[in-house]
Amino acid sequence: MSHRTLTAAVVAVTALLVLPATAITKDTITMSGSTSVYPLAVGLAKSYVKAFPDRASFKILQGGTDIGINDVSKGRVTIGLASRDPEDADPGGLVFNKVARDGVCVITNNKNKIRTLSATQIQNIFTGKIRSWSKVPGAKVKGAISLFTRTASSGTADAFQNIFLGTNKRIASNTPAKASNGLMRQTVSSNKNAIGFVSLDFLQGVNAVGYAGVSCTLRNSKSGQYKGVRNFWMVTRGKADGAAATYLDWVQKSEAARKVVSSRWIALK
Amino acid sequence: MADSTTGASASAQPGRASRRWSDARAEPVLAGISALVLAIIGAMVIFVLVSAWPSFAHNGLGWFGSGGGPVDEQLRAIQRSPAEPSNYVYELHAWPLLFGTLLTTGLALIFGLIFSLLSAVFIVEFAPPPLRRLLEPIVRLLAAVPSVIYGLIGILALGPLLDGLISEQRKEEVIFVVPLSGLNLTLATLILTIMITPIMIAIIVNALRSVPRSWTEGAAALGVNRWRTIWKISVRAARPAIIAAAVLATARALGEAIMLSMVSGSFGFAPNPLDGFSFFFEPVRPLAATIIDNAEALSVKPLGQTIYAFAAVLLVSSAMLSFAGWAAKQPMKKYAGRV
Amino acid sequence: MSTAGAAAPRAPAPPLRTRPRDTSASWPLLDRIGLAFCWAAGIALCVIAATILIYMAIKGVQYLRPELLFSRPEVAVDQSGTGGFLDPLAGTLLIVTVAMAIALPLGLVVAVWLTEYGRPLGLARAVEAGVEIIAGTPSIVLAIFGLIVFQESFFGFLSFEAAGGSVFGRSFLTAGATMSLIALPLVVGATREALQAVPNHLREASFALGKTRISTIRRVLLPAVRPGIATGTVLGAGRVIGDTAIIVVLLGATARLEAGDGPTGIDTLRGTGSTLTSYVYNNSPVGEGNAPEKAYAAACVLLLIAILLNSLVTRIAKGRRGGAAWIT
Repeated sequence: MSHRTLTAAVVAVTALLVLPATAITKDTITMSGSTSVYPLAVGLAKSYVKAFPDRASFKILQGGTDIGINDVSKGRVTIGLASRDPEDADPGGLVFNKVARDGVCVITNNKNKIRTLSATQIQNIFTGKIRSWSKVPGAKVKGAISLFTRTASSGTADAFQNIFLGTNKRIASNTPAKASNGLMRQTVSSNKNAIGFVSLDFLQGVNAVGYAGVSCTLRNSKSGQYKGVRNFWMVTRGKADGAAATYLDWVQKSEAARKVVSSRWIALK
Repeated sequence: MADSTTGASASAQPGRASRRWSDARAEPVLAGISALVLAIIGAMVIFVLVSAWPSFAHNGLGWFGSGGGPVDEQLRAIQRSPAEPSNYVYELHAWPLLFGTLLTTGLALIFGLIFSLLSAVFIVEFAPPPLRRLLEPIVRLLAAVPSVIYGLIGILALGPLLDGLISEQRKEEVIFVVPLSGLNLTLATLILTIMITPIMIAIIVNALRSVPRSWTEGAAALGVNRWRTIWKISVRAARPAIIAAAVLATARALGEAIMLSMVSGSFGFAPNPLDGFSFFFEPVRPLAATIIDNAEALSVKPLGQTIYAFAAVLLVSSAMLSFAGWAAKQPMKKYAGRV
Repeated sequence: MSTAGAAAPRAPAPPLRTRPRDTSASWPLLDRIGLAFCWAAGIALCVIAATILIYMAIKGVQYLRPELLFSRPEVAVDQSGTGGFLDPLAGTLLIVTVAMAIALPLGLVVAVWLTEYGRPLGLARAVEAGVEIIAGTPSIVLAIFGLIVFQESFFGFLSFEAAGGSVFGRSFLTAGATMSLIALPLVVGATREALQAVPNHLREASFALGKTRISTIRRVLLPAVRPGIATGTVLGAGRVIGDTAIIVVLLGATARLEAGDGPTGIDTLRGTGSTLTSYVYNNSPVGEGNAPEKAYAAACVLLLIAILLNSLVTRIAKGRRGGAAWIT
């Protein structure tokens, strides 16, 4: 290829790469954070793009609630996904927008179909006081309890801590930690001695244990009978503006969004 | 004559003279692009070390030691540290992770070297020709298998096998301290050995074959049997290549993240040889696997910097390895054969 | 003297010894034990390779169906429903293309400069050492280095900028650029070896005819070492296809190819996606896909591609020994 055509080609390719970045295209809204909110965020994004194809495109990552909050406070993403309420230790300047409510279920393997556990039993198991299934009435397996929890950035772990254990009890140290709801479900479904906790949306293939006699289902959570319910938030740095504001408005107020939320989560009134 | 040829070429392609690159122009351009490679490495080393510095600065030499509780708890504390930079928690004693890396890499290297040497000697000398024709593609095949596939087979097929070897009772006994399972040190070392062996075999076979035939034939003429010839002469002559192979294999073993994160148990723990039989079933989590397990947290300040610290340790180790390999080869340069 | 005296029978000539005298039966015990270990190692190699191949073949036959190859994956965390891995397959091909498009020219330039020029000597040694250091660096370290670099706002054109002004940093272009570093040492090594094997009289003949050095390289040497370059390229492609760490960190882990902004073609390159390797990782028990059968199927396809590339290398290398005889 001759010298001049080569230079022309390089200039053309560079222009193709650079120009679109400056052209007027649709906004990209990036989100990261809670693995529990992730399926909801994906569903809402799909519905939004179907309703308004030209307004925005979405990129949604996971990582855990704390990572989402950190990312949004540093401006790395537009919206952070959180599955726990705001804490004092969170960075300043963040606005939490509630978008849904969700239930947290204790889960066991399908070979160990425990119908319900009391609050004390759950506390004793997760703090490590009870270590063997033989000490748990209703257990269908024998042997050591394989306890699993979530990694530090998880909002579900915080919600579980607050709702089921209270403020002065902690999950036993040295408990293996899983990085997402999906991984927790995977682990419990393949280990017959396992017990853990997940968001309501992740119950396929595992046994959901009832809490104090009430089984953990979407219906019971919506009606308020099941007590293990927590909030989902979409977090922005300061008040949302631009494409993010339009989107959040749609999520919190439109009927289409409400339909998406009620399908597998609890819609806000 | 020369005049007419240059004259002919100049007139045959009138515009070409301006498009022909002279060496004076080409050489600096090529050198500049090659120097780009250096710039990339320099940038990488600087970026990683600078990002990792706070973690080392806060911990000092204790970073490499043990203590402070289970290392996973320390990582959790780092991740939960408050948002103000002045309140970041950095405390980390990474010995369990370092020990896990040393154990898996070291054991895999030892077993791999023995296995590769024996196999290479077999391929070069003792294999019957049909078997030799089969073995060479096999070695190339094993080298080409991607690491996810090794990890997949390990976690889905071999893990449950190993899991059956520990008794439920033993698991219950130690559940306070560490979860024993089929994904453990043994499985990690086994698969890592299989992964690094083909590279070493290929290099050693090459080197054994390039030992001058006069040497081996001279030994045969003196009545030395084939086994002793190959060990005392060919393998000794191939020592630089064996070292090069070992360095390459160790670098590969150090950097193996995906396969180890799948099969090594994902629990930061320093296996204790004094535990007896359980030692073989204790989980580990080498440095590279820790990095990839926490890869989403790279942007969160204190944990991100700790992860860069792990990467810095890996980077410095592989650089030192290359240097050590080069240094070890120097005294052996007097032997013939490819170095 | 007379033939009548030949009536006395002569013993037949002893048979010529064509087999080597040295059999292992005559060796000392230690040597025989060593030989047994050698045989054990060789057999173990065969057994291991056979086990891997047969196991993957069985699982592949069990789980691989044509519709998996041609249908797109579900956009959901749980992959155990319907959906195949067409997008990851396309992603693998895309990554290899981008990575080799960068590694091949860069590798050629470096190899040519090192072999043909190589002055100043300090710079040449430094570049050699540099390529070796890249070869020895773990791919996970390269991946997080790539993430730092490509999240700078200067590189926004390689991925895309979010509404908050931050650069996403994860796309096919960024992952491909980092992957090219993995393939670079292989291309450089193979090309250098091939160039060093070209005898000097070829270069000298070219200079005698009045061609400049750069012209010789372009018109004479590079065409002559095409098999070597091809070997290096295929080796590099094989490594790129098998690497997962860089993909997990730098490709954004979306189940389908999600395009960014720009005209068609460029938008896919600036977008995120997945490859076969990250698909297998995600669907194995350490990922959330919850679909080990699909992981097996994808792993089977991946293994087939790797074997194919590998045999390609062998064919090219063999061809080199056979052809280009005019060069020696």
